[in-house]
Amino acid sequence: MKLLLVGISHRTAPVEIRERVDFNVRGLPEALTSLASRGSAKEAVIVSTCNRAEVYVACDDAGAARADVSRFITEFTEVPQGHVEPHLQEFVDLDAAKHLFRVAAGLDSLVVGEPQILGQVKEAHTAAAETRTTGPVLNRLFHSSFAVGKRVRTETSLGSGAVSVSYAAVALAKKIFGDLSGRNVAVIGAGEMGKLTALHMKTQGVHRMTIVSRTMAHAARTAQAIGGASAAPWAELDTVLGGSDIVISATGAAQPILTKAHLEQIMRPRRNRPLFIIDIALPRDVEAAAGEIEQVFLYNIDDLQATVRENLARRASEVTRAESIVDEELAKFAAWFRSRGAIPTLVALRQRFEAIRRSELERLDFKLSALPPDARARVDEITHLIVEKLLLTPTEQLKSGDAESVGAYAEALTRLFALSDDDAASNVEPFHRDRRRQPR
Amino acid sequence: MNAIPLLFYVGAMLAYGVHFARRHPIAGRTATTLLIFGALAHTFVIGMQTMEFGHVPVAGATSAISTFVWLLALSYLYTELTTDERAMGVFILPLIVALQTIPALRPGAEAGSDVLKGPLFGVHVSSLLFAYASFALACMIGITYMLQFKEIKAKHLGFFYQRLPSLQVLDRMNHVAIVIGWIFLSVGLVVGFVWAAQAKSYAAGSPQVQAMSIGDPKILVAVVCWVIYSFELFAARLIGWGGRKTAYLSLIGFSVVMFNFVAISYFLTKSHNF
Repeated sequence: MKLLLVGISHRTAPVEIRERVDFNVRGLPEALTSLASRGSAKEAVIVSTCNRAEVYVACDDAGAARADVSRFITEFTEVPQGHVEPHLQEFVDLDAAKHLFRVAAGLDSLVVGEPQILGQVKEAHTAAAETRTTGPVLNRLFHSSFAVGKRVRTETSLGSGAVSVSYAAVALAKKIFGDLSGRNVAVIGAGEMGKLTALHMKTQGVHRMTIVSRTMAHAARTAQAIGGASAAPWAELDTVLGGSDIVISATGAAQPILTKAHLEQIMRPRRNRPLFIIDIALPRDVEAAAGEIEQVFLYNIDDLQATVRENLARRASEVTRAESIVDEELAKFAAWFRSRGAIPTLVALRQRFEAIRRSELERLDFKLSALPPDARARVDEITHLIVEKLLLTPTEQLKSGDAESVGAYAEALTRLFALSDDDAASNVEPFHRDRRRQPR
Repeated sequence: MNAIPLLFYVGAMLAYGVHFARRHPIAGRTATTLLIFGALAHTFVIGMQTMEFGHVPVAGATSAISTFVWLLALSYLYTELTTDERAMGVFILPLIVALQTIPALRPGAEAGSDVLKGPLFGVHVSSLLFAYASFALACMIGITYMLQFKEIKAKHLGFFYQRLPSLQVLDRMNHVAIVIGWIFLSVGLVVGFVWAAQAKSYAAGSPQVQAMSIGDPKILVAVVCWVIYSFELFAARLIGWGGRKTAYLSLIGFSVVMFNFVAISYFLTKSHNF
């Protein structure tokens, strides 16, 4: 069984592509069903957030599955193949596992260590489990990734502190204005992200906060939710902007609502008072060229990535520790994943040995029957132990080898011991019990 | 004698450098301590010279530089201790070290020209030296503003972003330094003109006093400095210049000040070559 990941993330695709490749629009269950119906994927989980859309698949033929998944992405999201294909990244087997572990740990997030992603990965797995598109390989993979996420959260301080888009925005505002008390903040739109950033600003003791929205009721509701903020109608946008130091824009508008020319007009009477614009809307609310105005500091959600990299560098030691947790868990998963290739051979081998032991015991039964029951039990135990010992080294060798050597060993064992497929098909249980007793 | 404070300044410069690069608190405290010792040693040197000559050693270009460095060190220390902001040290100390090298290498005796007597002369020189120290601080603050501005604007929040105070704080500090500098520059210039007029009556034979006119490079450039800083202070903000442009002006203004203070004093002026 091969493990395959095909998808886009904020590292590979610009905002324009990411906002179009969103499986949540039509719903994950529908997407999973559609993917499963194509046949090449034995198991499938889709992780779709605003920063990534990744399809995890367990399959027999990685090449066929890759083509299938790529076609599925373009057909399901209705984004032309030529637009998506250049941004697709793909990982196979352990690279795919490592990627998911890093995602779950928050290491691949836009804001490193951000806490939401683990929940989103869990939801993705739950959706797949409910749609019955997941199976033993992806179940094991995702449960391992939850363990990684949990360990990173408890054993490192990667996720501690306010490392998020909104925190990055607040830190930037402080580098421009110093103390934020006495500053006026305008919030355009009434989305969750805008509200979150506004709340962060609020804790910094800003002077006045005004919510502007196309619908006054919406603005009033958001203002109430933030607390201590006032609402203003859309018609007063320019007045509010003129009196503000910080603007958080997060509308759902399809077109930019603030152009460079418009902002130049607003900036003129302000003389030199800097204006910090945080454009966290997708698609963007503010024309990129507006950042060219001398005292306008414009950051969109992609730009905040730069500030995050800075946090990443500052928390380099934490990142290193988190990465080593990823590597540890990956090693465990790798052992399991590789050993999966050897399972049929190992089971067959074990059954062959056990069969020999039993037949020999039966053959010698007439000699053993003279012994007291105690001694007979000892004989049974000793022969069992001999078989176990004989199997121990080959089993370990098979489990620890890489994919190629596992194949070669399995082939050799099958020939040497004339193992048939019938042996492998039944009685998988002993092996699994054995696995669980492995030291962690 | 000027070599002793210089050694402390060099040590402080290195420590500020280490503190800025590694952000090690111990390096920062060491830097400030070394600078305080340097300033104390410098105070002692200037005190000794004052006792020796009977006035603050400001008459010759070399001793004026030493006194300027002393004022600059004290002004910077005052700024650092009141704002708790050490980042500027790495920009100020190289200037202090470079300038202090001049008096350390030229330990000439203070000129005792008879022309340079009277309280007005003392006020003239001390005011100007203090103004220059303020402009030096303003210039360094301006440079840090430009570095910080560049990183935030270019969205590459890197080395300086981590280490420098906010734009608004830098802008305000720059403004305060310019205001103080401009006041002392104005006082120094006015007193200088008054003193020159008086000197013409009691020391008319001196070639320096004869050369004292607006046409002399030293005086002309000093007036140019005053024009630059007056523009920065009053006009620039009115016409909507601010932030980066005033930071540029601080840099240009101080370059002119330094040119006047060092190059013109030693080589070009006929009126101020005491």
